[in-house]
Amino acid sequence: MGSSAKKKKEKQKDFQKAKLKVGKAKAKPDNFTDTSFKAKSITLTQQSLTLSAPTSATQFTHHVSLLNSKSDTQRRDSLAHLTTHLANSRPGGSPPPQPVSTLLQTLSPLILDGNTGVRTQLLKLFRALPPRDVEDHVAQLLPFIRAGMTHLAADIRVTAVEVLAWLVEVAGVEVVGCAGGWIKTLNCFLSVLGWHTEESSKWSASRAAFGKSGSQGKPMVKVLGVLAEFLDVGIGMSGNEDGDVVMGWTEENRGQAGAGVGNSEFPLAQVEAHLIPKTAQPYVYLNLFGQPRDEEGEMYETREDRFRVFAARFLKAVERGVESARQDGGEVGRASSAVSKVLKEAMAYARGAGLEV
Amino acid sequence: MVKRKLGALEKVEADLPNLQHKIRRDPKSYIEDFRAQHYQYESHREIFMAAPSSATDTGIISLRELIDFIAHVADCYPEITKDFPQQLMDILTQHHLILQSELREKIVGSLVLLRKKELLDSATLLQTLFPILISTPSKTLRALLFQKILMDLRSSNAKATNHKLNRTMQTVLYNLVTSDRTSSKGLWAIKLTRELWKRQIWTDAKAVEVMKEASLATNEKVIVGGVRFFLGGDKEREEMEDESSDEEAIDMGRVKHIVGINKKTKKKARAVEKAKATVKRRERKKNAPHPLNFSALHLLHDPQGYAESLFSRHLQSTKSKLNLDQKLMVLQLVTRLVGLHKLHIMHLYSYFQKYLTPRQPSVTSFLASLAQASHDLVPPDDLEPLVQKIANEFVSEASAAEVASAGLNAIREICARQPLAMNETLLQDLVMYRKSKDKGVVMAARGLLSLFRELNPEWLKRRDRGKEASMGLRSGEKKEKRFAEQAAGGIEGIELLEQWKEEERRKKRAEKGLPSDAEDDEEDEEDNWDAWNVESDEDSDDSDGWIQVQSDAEIELSDSDDDDEDSKRPKKKAKSDDETGAEAAAAAAAAEEPKKEESELDKKLSLAATRILTPADLAKLQELRTEAAVNALAGVKGRQSAGNRHHDDPLTAEEIEGLAALSAGKATREERIAHAKEGKLDRSEHKSVTAKRKEKKESQGKSTTNKEKARKKNFLMTLGKAKSKNKRSLVQTRAVLKAHQERAKRGGRRGNTGS
Repeated sequence: MGSSAKKKKEKQKDFQKAKLKVGKAKAKPDNFTDTSFKAKSITLTQQSLTLSAPTSATQFTHHVSLLNSKSDTQRRDSLAHLTTHLANSRPGGSPPPQPVSTLLQTLSPLILDGNTGVRTQLLKLFRALPPRDVEDHVAQLLPFIRAGMTHLAADIRVTAVEVLAWLVEVAGVEVVGCAGGWIKTLNCFLSVLGWHTEESSKWSASRAAFGKSGSQGKPMVKVLGVLAEFLDVGIGMSGNEDGDVVMGWTEENRGQAGAGVGNSEFPLAQVEAHLIPKTAQPYVYLNLFGQPRDEEGEMYETREDRFRVFAARFLKAVERGVESARQDGGEVGRASSAVSKVLKEAMAYARGAGLEV
Repeated sequence: MVKRKLGALEKVEADLPNLQHKIRRDPKSYIEDFRAQHYQYESHREIFMAAPSSATDTGIISLRELIDFIAHVADCYPEITKDFPQQLMDILTQHHLILQSELREKIVGSLVLLRKKELLDSATLLQTLFPILISTPSKTLRALLFQKILMDLRSSNAKATNHKLNRTMQTVLYNLVTSDRTSSKGLWAIKLTRELWKRQIWTDAKAVEVMKEASLATNEKVIVGGVRFFLGGDKEREEMEDESSDEEAIDMGRVKHIVGINKKTKKKARAVEKAKATVKRRERKKNAPHPLNFSALHLLHDPQGYAESLFSRHLQSTKSKLNLDQKLMVLQLVTRLVGLHKLHIMHLYSYFQKYLTPRQPSVTSFLASLAQASHDLVPPDDLEPLVQKIANEFVSEASAAEVASAGLNAIREICARQPLAMNETLLQDLVMYRKSKDKGVVMAARGLLSLFRELNPEWLKRRDRGKEASMGLRSGEKKEKRFAEQAAGGIEGIELLEQWKEEERRKKRAEKGLPSDAEDDEEDEEDNWDAWNVESDEDSDDSDGWIQVQSDAEIELSDSDDDDEDSKRPKKKAKSDDETGAEAAAAAAAAEEPKKEESELDKKLSLAATRILTPADLAKLQELRTEAAVNALAGVKGRQSAGNRHHDDPLTAEEIEGLAALSAGKATREERIAHAKEGKLDRSEHKSVTAKRKEKKESQGKSTTNKEKARKKNFLMTLGKAKSKNKRSLVQTRAVLKAHQERAKRGGRRGNTGS
């Protein structure tokens, strides 16, 4: 029995209250861990010693750096801040604190961002950018747009198409004329619309669409509209107006040069060819420093070239697709009529130029 | 870092694994989706190629995931993905220095995957990976690449040897080693070759050639790698083979039993199938003929030239930067080549002269190398001064006991290979050391003595010769061997076979109750001829009509001393179908009795000459040989005499040191205890026999007996029965008692009525 009494006592000990005494520190519990340490100096990694408020330029840079933030709202808010900044500064004519080329490097990956809010805000920001500055960076931007157009998520596809619409509007000639801009982008269009093969373009085909397709009709209409614009710039009438920038040899001057009369610079012929080119990279088509390009990645700078490629590769698929879209009727059918109109113009031009279709 | 919350979008839609799964099941329907993802990959690749170093995680899907996805389903759409492998290879070769490590590993993994799917051939893959292996500074990538290269070589050689691939790879390695002899890149060639040699994938002369060139390099690491391969590569290979054959045996009966009892599921049925297949495969492997794998030393093309260049480059030249240990390794290789191929290198023996002093560090290795370098075609004039020097420097009363015993052992080893290196006076002098006080020296001197009793007893003093040697001398059997004299060859272990046959015959006779020493070779032999093939005895059983034909056609090669026996044999054959046994044996016994003694000796020698050994005989012979080898090992623990060491085995410094441990003064108590404990089993557990049996049963997964179950039964469960026992009526009690009595008579519940 002796041992059990002892045990009882020990057990009781656990539940006894420790007496607190005045002037003495409280006893440390058993599981106490000493976390104190000594150091000669303590450095805080983030500390702000400035007293004045940051300038708008620094704020701009700061928000650009926040675009890589992990949090969705942070990215969206930064984009919004940048948008307002750009929009406010635009009328004054002062350039943005950072050049557009560096801005685009951080902005273009956001086309593929998972958050819808971020992407819509991004589109607004793009619209706020000075259009003349964008023209030279189309080649940088296009791969991201193409990646977005073939993305698994339908929402991202739609945003990418919208971005493309903006880009075509701002710098259409560059879009269709830059390296890989014609064939690869058209491929993406066909893939978005599902027009690649004969079966998949039929309306009756039970195409096993993967991923959430979004609201079915509306994106289709949008894509068709953008396709019409894109084709129009590439091979339609509007592409014709200032299509051959590099050559400086447009339809109008050709007529004038041929006539040789009524021109303001009468004794000189083909003046533009001898002037300093207006574009930033006039000789880029020579591809002096890049990797050798294959057929898809090649630059197609004239309407003729573009049409030849289009006729060889895409014409059938597009006609088939447009036909089936027309049969669908409704909003989609109406949207397809724009595309077919561009196609008709292009065919007429081709016949006029003596190209075989 | 806090884990980022996944948006609903990321969870559901950007789900490449899900798409991959669907594509696998129905590639045709999802071709559009795949095409879209392929464009996606193309765009991402374009983005990446524009700025490879600043590649960031773009959006939800990164290039890494896309590459992984496409590699997994590439075999479904070969037309779309025909450029994919080439693109991956381009990325890897151009940008492997700046790629993110994860992406890099993913690309390597995807390439290997494509190889597995046969979208890429081995040669291209290896040509891509190997240059990166030897040039990349990243350790993890090197490890990964090495593993993948090895795996690819193994898998492409798994079914049949892929000679073409092996040849190209070997050529690449050879060029790597020979192109720049000062660089350490050759180490990769060495590592790869050694690994493949170990796994018996490369067993040809070309692989050996690579190693040969490596050992002739100027970079120390490469040299040592090459030399180590020759010294240890074959042993490693053997160990690997043993290891793989030692895999735990599957007890088929047990597996079947377990399946019979446990719940039947598909999984378990599959496990049984697998076990069956494994057993079958092993069986086949066991029966397969042993692959003829020559050791690396035998596959050398020009051993003389190789040994000479090794010696002159690394040992003789003053410019060689090797340290002592590395030099010793090279020396071991050179001497091993000399001993094995009986080469002659002019300056080798004079080279030793300098190192044979007791003060020289690791002198025992030098001694071992010297002994290894001596063979019976070395001129005695070369060796004699060395032996003399060892005797003078090492073996004297003044020197320490370990030194003396090492010297004596070295002399013994040299003389075992070239007895003419010794002379009479020196031998008699050295033999005197067996009277030394130190045990190690005594043993060494005795070893020398017994060696010369075998080789040349004439040089020993009369009283040292011993009985056998003296008798041999008198009968003229033991003669001094002349320089370069060769003994006639025979079949190794044939006397063991003879002995075994004799015993078998005796046993058989004893079974039949006949005098055990009478002869009935015929029957015995007949058995053997019936079992011509070790495996095919059952088919000779069921086609009985054909057996006679075979036994009639038996080949006879007889000498005069077996004449009567042989002349009887055909008759016997004719009879043997209806009557065998007593009559025949008696006749044979009567005939053989007088001749037996004199023919004993000749017969032993003539077994090979009088008979054609059947495959069964040869199998038995092999078995006996290994048995004898095992016995020899078990009998003389840790020490092999020169006689039974294989010709190919190296001589090590330990053997020269020999019993020096004995003379190293008294061991401490702990050492003695450790020594005593060495051979004994673990005595930690003292247990009763029953407990041990129980444990064994449990480990085999067997159940307990009823008795044990009763004993372990929960007390409360037994209460009811105990209570009811008290309430039994008289009639019930009577019935129980009666039954008990009855049972006792029978001898227990199960009944002991059987006997």
